[in-house]
This record gives sequence, C-alpha cells and structure tokens, in this order.
Amino acid sequence: MSDTQNSSKGWCTALCKPSGRYSLLTLLLGGFVAGIIVWGGFNTAMEATNQLEFCIGCHEMKDNVYQEYKKTIHYSNRSGVRAICSDCHVPKDYAHKMMRKIQASKEVWSKITGTIDTKEKFEAKRLELAQREWARMKDSDSRECRNCHSFEGMDLDKQKQRSRKNHEMAQKEGKTCIDCHKGIAHQRPKGMPEEDEE
Amino acid sequence: MNKLLIAVSTLGLIAAGGTGVAFAADVSKAPSKKITVFYPGASGMEWILKGTLHGGAKGIKKGESCVGCHVDEKTGNEEAPDIGNKIVAGEKSKDMALEPEPIMGKPGSIPVTVQAAHDADNLYLRFTWKNTGFSSGKKMDADNPIKLAVMLEEPGKVEYDTVGGCWPTCHNDVRTMPGVKDDKKTKYVVGGNLAAGKYFDIFQYKSGKGQKPNDGYIADKRVMDGGKALLDAKGELKGDTWTVTFTRKLAGGEGDVKLETGKTYNFGFAIHDDYTHGRYHYVSLGYKLGLDDPKAEINAVKQ
Repeated sequence: MSDTQNSSKGWCTALCKPSGRYSLLTLLLGGFVAGIIVWGGFNTAMEATNQLEFCIGCHEMKDNVYQEYKKTIHYSNRSGVRAICSDCHVPKDYAHKMMRKIQASKEVWSKITGTIDTKEKFEAKRLELAQREWARMKDSDSRECRNCHSFEGMDLDKQKQRSRKNHEMAQKEGKTCIDCHKGIAHQRPKGMPEEDEE
Repeated sequence: MNKLLIAVSTLGLIAAGGTGVAFAADVSKAPSKKITVFYPGASGMEWILKGTLHGGAKGIKKGESCVGCHVDEKTGNEEAPDIGNKIVAGEKSKDMALEPEPIMGKPGSIPVTVQAAHDADNLYLRFTWKNTGFSSGKKMDADNPIKLAVMLEEPGKVEYDTVGGCWPTCHNDVRTMPGVKDDKKTKYVVGGNLAAGKYFDIFQYKSGKGQKPNDGYIADKRVMDGGKALLDAKGELKGDTWTVTFTRKLAGGEGDVKLETGKTYNFGFAIHDDYTHGRYHYVSLGYKLGLDDPKAEINAVKQ
C-alpha cells in the first residue's frame, strides 16, 4: 500500500471518528462560527461581483456598454434612482442568482481568451451577446425589469400618448418588457434582425 | 324710375337663383383646427414600418395611425414640434439620423391653421401660417419660394393607408430620398392602380409668379396634371402670414377623389418653404376629412 493511500485513509478515519479531544458544544460552536465565516464570506464575495465597480473593472465593459449606459435614464434621472448592471442582468432571488453566476463564470474564460478585448471584436459580437441576454430576459418574463416596473403600478393617464397606447397594447397581447424595450440602456446592435422587434 | 329699378333688380335676382348661381362659401369663417406640420427628413414608409428603427411600426402594422400615438387624445398636444426639431438637427433616433445633412437654423415645425367648408358643389380649404423667413441660400426650386400640396384618399384602398397622411406615397427609393437609384423617380403607392381606386389625389399651390397650380394623382407614379376637380388655388403673403386657399369640386374626374357626406377621407398636406423640393418639406400627420361630420378631425361645414 502506498503512502498516499495510507494518508487518505487516515483522514477519513479521523473525520468519521467521534472526537475524544473536543466537547460536542465546542464542535457545534466551532462549526457554527466556521459556517458563518464561510457562508458569509461566500455571499459577501458574490455580492461584491454585483457592484458596478466590479462590472466595469474590465475594460471590455467600461469602454463599451458602460459608456452607453451612462447616457440613459437608468443611470441618471430626475429622481436619482439608479439601476446598476446587476439590477438588470442578475436575478435577485437566490436560486436564479446562483444559476446566473454559474453561467457567468464562462465569461471569465472569455476574458482570459480575449474574445471581446478590442472595440472591433466587441462590435462583431454585440448582436450575439445582446440576443443571448434578450432571450434570457424574455424567458424570465422580464423578471429583472419587473423588480421595479409593473403594469399594475403604471398610471397610464400620466404617460405620453404613444407610451399609453403601446402599454395598453402590450398588456392586451401579454407582451413582456423586453419585447419592446431593447436597447434602452445600451446601443442596439448593428444588423439587428427585424424579427427581434416583432 | 325707382319702381323700374327695383323691378329689374328683383328680376335679376330671380334669374340668378333660377340658373343656379350661388355665392361661394366663405372658408375664412369656417371652424379652424391647428395642425403642426414638421420636418420629416427621410422618414419614408419603409422607415415607418421598420420596427428596429421606428418603435411605432408594431402599432402601424396593426392598423394604428400616426396621430393615434403622436397626438395626445386627451390634451390635443402634438409631438410634431419635438419630432421636427430633432430630425432637422440631425439627432439620432435608434442610432439613425433621419436627416443625414442637418439644416442649421431651419425651424423643425410650423403651426398651421386649417379651415374647411363646402357648398353643394365645392370643397374650400384655407391654410394660414406664419412665414418662417428661413433662407438656406439653396434654391432647389428657384421658381417657387412656397408650395402647399394637399393629398386625399378614400380609406381602404391603398396598403397601410390607415397610417394616414401622405406616407403611403413616400418611399426610400424616390428622388431626394437616401435609397434613390433613379433621380426622376417620383412618389408612388404600392400596388398603385388608378382604375382600382388605389391612388392618392394631389393638388398643389405654387407661389412663383405665373406658376399654375397642379391637380393630379399618385398611383404607380406621380402625375401632377390632368385632374378635373381643382378650380382655384390662391396664396398671398400678407405681413408675416401666408394664406393659401383652394376651391375644389366635390366630384372631378379620373384621379380626383369624389367627396360625399357620410364618408371620411384620408387627408394630409405639406408645405415647401425656402424654395425647396422633394423631401425637404414640412408635412402633416394624417387626418380624416369629412363633410358635415363633427367626428371628423377636419370637418368641412356646409355654408
């Protein structure tokens, strides 16, 4: 038997054996504190990735979509309510958030391999990236938009005529926000197919 | 002697009445409606119907009119001034400028007072507006400082005529538009066919000295003469105000929309100022013209 096998067997035995050295209370308390540290640390780290500063830490985001977003109402408006990247692109509830984060880990690979590290590469990929995000939003019935906006909360009488008309039509036809509101925070991709606006 | 004069005058009046001589309606006394015409740039029908460029395309395809979204039905507020200002300045909408060559200093819109009246035979239209006084120095149509054209259509004939106004005749490939290949190509309607009633009636006042008004139609192409309905088109600039009046028979000939009570008609008009031609005009959105129809947006009242 090799040394490695002996060593892992020893760890397993140690983990499975009742402790003769620490009391149950110590172990429980130790586990509780360790749990808080690990769990809290994990969540804190995950929340850190939801900050605007984190998102624009990469020049790919800072030089492209961030500059476009800064010109929109979601960045600056009369009431001072700001929706940052994660408000629109990361679900709020835990399960969906975790799934989104796992999906987003692929973006790390894209960063390393430099798939959009120049303006030209970004523009070449903009439509694909946008369509992927539009599809995600459509699948979730624009869940992230609806964290702040809802048909129920809208006073159509206070809207401009064309907004009122379109919102009435959208409600009647069961449309979701992203069906009509593509390109409200970023430039619309060049060559966007007409069916994306149907 | 006095008795003789009275008798002659009375006979004269009876004779006039008997032969059907009637006094023309005074359209200047008809109810008025303010319509803001605006600079549309190159927003032809193809742009109107392209959802990636024009958010209203969805509504248009479902039968909505331009006015339905761009004029507030509660307050009557028009978006035309804002739209015109943005377009003439070359501002982008959905990453596209509708005027690739912004015209510095040109007003984006003009508020126009429109009046309509009719009698047994004729429709009378009167348009008044403050002269813009704008001069670009370019005289595209050197003969005419001002032109005003009116279009009429019988609803339900031309594709997408529910959009209203002149848009179904305006396409990206006609002269002065960005997609032009043949600079002689004029306005047309898709599937235009005079015999089948698929056309827009058009008549135009031209302010140039000795310039005759036009009376024609737009089907598969634009024909600016041959109409039998237009009797008179007059215009004058008094002080800073332009007034243009048309007298048009209710029924003309081929290419003239026959106007009847109980029906409404698509109505739009355009003003070329500053010696312009082609797309460099101000246009109205589409409205409905009716005869003695209070529900019509432009109601020609009988006088």
